[in-house]
Amino acid sequence: MIRKKKILYVDDEKINVQLFQINFSNSFEVLISCSGMDGLLLLDKNLDTEVVISDMKMPEMNGLEFIGKAKGKYPNKRYYILTGFDITGEIQHALDNKLILKCLKKPFNLQEIERILNE
Amino acid sequence: MRKIKFEYKLAFSYLLLGGIWIIFSDKLLSSIIYDIRVLTEIQIFKGWFYVIVTAILFFLFIKNHLTKLRDTEIELEHHKNHLEKMIQEKTNDLESKNEELFRKNEIINQKNTELKNTLVCLQDTQSHLFQAEKMASLGILTAGVAHELNNPLNYIMGAYVGLFRHYENKTFSENDEQVGILIDSLKVGVERSVSIVEGLNQFTRNSQSYHEECNLHEIINNSLNILQNQLSNNISIHKQYANSEIIIKGNVGNLHQVFVNILNNSIQAILNEGSITISTKLDDDYVHIEIKDTGEGISAENIEKVADPFFTTKEPGKGTGLGLAITYNIIKKHNGILEFQSDLGKGTMVKIKFPK
Ligand SMILES: Nc1ncnc2c1ncn2[C@@H]1O[C@H](COP(=O)(O)OP(=O)(O)OP(=O)(O)O)[C@@H](O)[C@H]1O
Ligand SMILES: Nc1ncnc2c1ncn2[C@@H]1O[C@H](COP(=O)(O)OP(=O)(O)OP(=O)(O)O)[C@@H](O)[C@H]1O
Ligand SMILES: [Mg+2]
Ligand SMILES: [Mg+2]
Repeated sequence: MIRKKKILYVDDEKINVQLFQINFSNSFEVLISCSGMDGLLLLDKNLDTEVVISDMKMPEMNGLEFIGKAKGKYPNKRYYILTGFDITGEIQHALDNKLILKCLKKPFNLQEIERILNE
Repeated sequence: MRKIKFEYKLAFSYLLLGGIWIIFSDKLLSSIIYDIRVLTEIQIFKGWFYVIVTAILFFLFIKNHLTKLRDTEIELEHHKNHLEKMIQEKTNDLESKNEELFRKNEIINQKNTELKNTLVCLQDTQSHLFQAEKMASLGILTAGVAHELNNPLNYIMGAYVGLFRHYENKTFSENDEQVGILIDSLKVGVERSVSIVEGLNQFTRNSQSYHEECNLHEIINNSLNILQNQLSNNISIHKQYANSEIIIKGNVGNLHQVFVNILNNSIQAILNEGSITISTKLDDDYVHIEIKDTGEGISAENIEKVADPFFTTKEPGKGTGLGLAITYNIIKKHNGILEFQSDLGKGTMVKIKFPK
């Protein structure tokens, strides 16, 4: 059996991370965390993580702040935001700076996310 | 000295002169002429002389007097004419003044009607503005609701995807725990969607009644939910609610507008990081609500003006300056009181008091 691609999903809402894990662990090894802090710790322990998807609005550290820190340490991973917001100025800025590759919308689209993860 | 009348003067002078003349001229004559015949003859001349002189004197006296009289009469006539002319002039003047007054009155009447029309127009505009502000808060609302709804929709979508896969693979029974989570997510997603839509309905409720039961904690929570997408994670919200529910009579939709406006101002006043504390208290007669933020504050000069229509310190496009004007009106309609306290640079406290 080929090894599954390792991905990290960060969202402050428990239901969101549970659902993400349930729905994507068939094809991927899904790491989950409920805050940016925990996300960074998980990345330190799982250097082979290829894709990081994060919720935007979270207490303490928002999605872009988390991704900013993560990318500072691990520039070679692919980073995405998954949010219920429209694209805000902050997100547009991150897209322009290539901090994130794309801004995905909630409610999530399974096919779109699978395609992106498989790229 | 009393002025002696002319006729007395005349008669008196005549008497006096005549008497003196008779007495002295006779005495003089009789003292120089002794011949009776000559004396008689001269007496005749003397009589003539006397008559002629008195006639001349009379003539001169009367003429002089009459001339004076005539002059006076002419002068009088003159005066009379002048007076008439003056009266005529004054009358003309008055008439024209009167006319002018009449015209002015007409203009005033006209202006009055114009003012009345303007007033009606203004009232119209005001109600339009009320509507516009409601629409503006609706803008906040729809943006907020869209974001709020996307989360529970995400649950529902996730649950559907998971459940569908188990259905296709017929793997329900081996994944009890997972299926439980999926079904729970579905339920939470639907419940949250329902509560969001309910909140939305309350806000846009177009009722005119001020006798609805208003649950203030529910309304404040709802308003916070609506503003969720304006709230960055740098703003913490602290609720210090009274232990019991607070229900007042009023208009549910309008009270939502009150709290959305005040909370939105607090959010906008917090530039980087800060907190908003909402406290509610009950005493014997009143409900007290305090919304305190650690935002940029309001200067002493501005604090009097914040509730004035169109007063705003925000950039064009960011604020209409109507939020608090409308908030003030709504609170007044609920017989409540709105007050502001602020420390520039430290924060603002908005106090609302409603009768119980
Ligand atoms: N069980 C719940 N019931 C009602 N409201 C909730 C519940 N859980 C969370 N919320 C509200 O939903 C809001 C949305 O969640 P959150 O703040 O994480 O933003 P988000 O939508 O996840 O952000 P993003 O859109 O970037 O993913 C929360 O701020 C909270 O107020
Ligand atoms: N909590 C607050 N902190 C600091 N300033 C405030 C606060 N609340 C109101 N103000 C001041 O009062 C002004 C008027 O507020 P108001 O809500 O009436 O209008 P606005 O917020 O400017 O515009 P709008 O509400 O129409 O978007 C604001 O521009 C701001 O200067
Ligand atoms: Mg979140
Ligand atoms: Mg305002």
